[in-house]
Amino acid sequence: MIVLGIDTSGYINAVGLADGDRVLADVAYSARTDSMEQIVDNIDTVLKSVNLSLKEVQGIGVGLGPGSWTGIKVGVTVGKMLAFSADKPVAGVPTLEVLAYAARDKSLLVYTVISAGVKDTVYAARYRTSVSGVSQEGEYFTGSIKDLAPLIKEPVLLVGSDIKQYWDIVIKENPSLKNKIKSLEARPSGAAVACLAAVRLKQGKQDDPLSLTPLYLKESTAKVFINKYKVK
Amino acid sequence: MLVLGIETSCDETSAALVADGKSILSSTIATQLDLLKKYGGVVPEVAARRHTELIGYVIKEALDKVGKTLDDVEAVAVTSRQGLIGCLMVGVAAAKSISYAKNIPLIGLHHIEGHIFANILSHPEMPFPHVCLTVSGGHNMLVYVQDKCRYEVLGTTLDDAAGEAFDKIAKFLGLDFPGGPVIDKLSKQGNPRAFNFPRPMLKSKSLDFSFSGLKTAVINMFKDKISRGEKLPLPDIAASFQEAVVDTLVAKTLRAVEMKDLKVVSVTGGVSANSRLRQVFKETCKKKGIKVFFPDLSLCTDNAAMIAAAGYARMVLGERSDLRLNVFPNAPLGG
Repeated sequence: MIVLGIDTSGYINAVGLADGDRVLADVAYSARTDSMEQIVDNIDTVLKSVNLSLKEVQGIGVGLGPGSWTGIKVGVTVGKMLAFSADKPVAGVPTLEVLAYAARDKSLLVYTVISAGVKDTVYAARYRTSVSGVSQEGEYFTGSIKDLAPLIKEPVLLVGSDIKQYWDIVIKENPSLKNKIKSLEARPSGAAVACLAAVRLKQGKQDDPLSLTPLYLKESTAKVFINKYKVK
Repeated sequence: MLVLGIETSCDETSAALVADGKSILSSTIATQLDLLKKYGGVVPEVAARRHTELIGYVIKEALDKVGKTLDDVEAVAVTSRQGLIGCLMVGVAAAKSISYAKNIPLIGLHHIEGHIFANILSHPEMPFPHVCLTVSGGHNMLVYVQDKCRYEVLGTTLDDAAGEAFDKIAKFLGLDFPGGPVIDKLSKQGNPRAFNFPRPMLKSKSLDFSFSGLKTAVINMFKDKISRGEKLPLPDIAASFQEAVVDTLVAKTLRAVEMKDLKVVSVTGGVSANSRLRQVFKETCKKKGIKVFFPDLSLCTDNAAMIAAAGYARMVLGERSDLRLNVFPNAPLGG
């Protein structure tokens, strides 16, 4: 099953193609503020690079975030409207899970970490990785990386982009972890999105393209402000 | 040519099917009135999130209503210029995806051009050239429309748009949102001459508008009355404020018409639904032998049918956008 995977939740446009778990293409385009301008063109370039057209794609995978608010809106809108227009099944994949996929070959406990934009606030989640895949344990975490440190008890791998800075903070908060935790630098990969989406699609777990929405772990600043000050 | 129009520049998620730039087959508009009432205005990030949720449904409904599928659509037109950046992005991302998946032409348009076309859609007989007043919560412009897609901006707002002033005054008076229709209705019970509010920039030769000072004058008068413990005649305040806005809009528009030596006026945008504005325009224009046109009420506020119509006109001229079409929140209206 050939699946197209995209993720624009960070400062890259990740576009990949996979046939089952075999990677056909995996490209990360630098995109700070212009992910919207580039993304459809990026998809076209990647498809052409392996002599495929959208018609030959059998499913679409979309990274749902969390991450840059504007970025995820663009990726999810493109993913769902491509699926709707080309009549392809679509599966949304949380970007924290996409990061965990980078450690899939190892049997490990993994914490994936994504910057939430403000100071040392992060989104995080815990996954158990094995050759058979990636499974989430527990709830999503949103808060200061300092508050994540005490939650880590056993040997783990921290995965994410710019992960070293978070590793430093965790060790500083909890020095006893120094020999127990390692870090793996990884960005969301389009091919990982495609592979994870392929598993979901094979299991019949496809999403309704019309109702597919980004994964927001934080309310918009405006909403937080309004609730805080009870503006009517 | 069947064109799918998409409009998400502010708080309305809209899709429409228009044939040959003339007949509206279907038009679907999902308003965010619940959010507007809750927050007393448009919150950009909240509006953009809602667009992401609604865009697919709105497009599907525009198709389903008339038994069409995307296979019947021959081109996609989308608002890509002027509006809230996050909101514009959702519409453009959707439009590009459809254009790419269906291999059909794409065209990005300026939101104000859409409003100009709302009246061309409503009145195909409306002659060119004409002067168009576009007036809503987000824009307030005088445009010399030489022909379809050929414009010269004569004036614009220096601060608040007229519709924005309506909303802010309504909010201040404790009235419902959006302020335009509420003030329109309340004014019918009030005396428009009860208070003499300023008619901003009427004495200047410029065709630009400014409604911020008028807004302040109303608010100061209101506060003054409260501090003296006087009764607040809300209908009179609403009617007098509305009259000041209407007088200003009509006078500036007629000055533009005289300057260009024309006899045709087009009034579009959300505020063009205001009943007093329509009445004063009709009376004044009749006296001067000027023809004035207003869009159907359904085409006054933001809608995708006007975008589809404008897109068709541009495509007839051979224009196309490519897959790298970007959004420009503050782009000027190009000719």
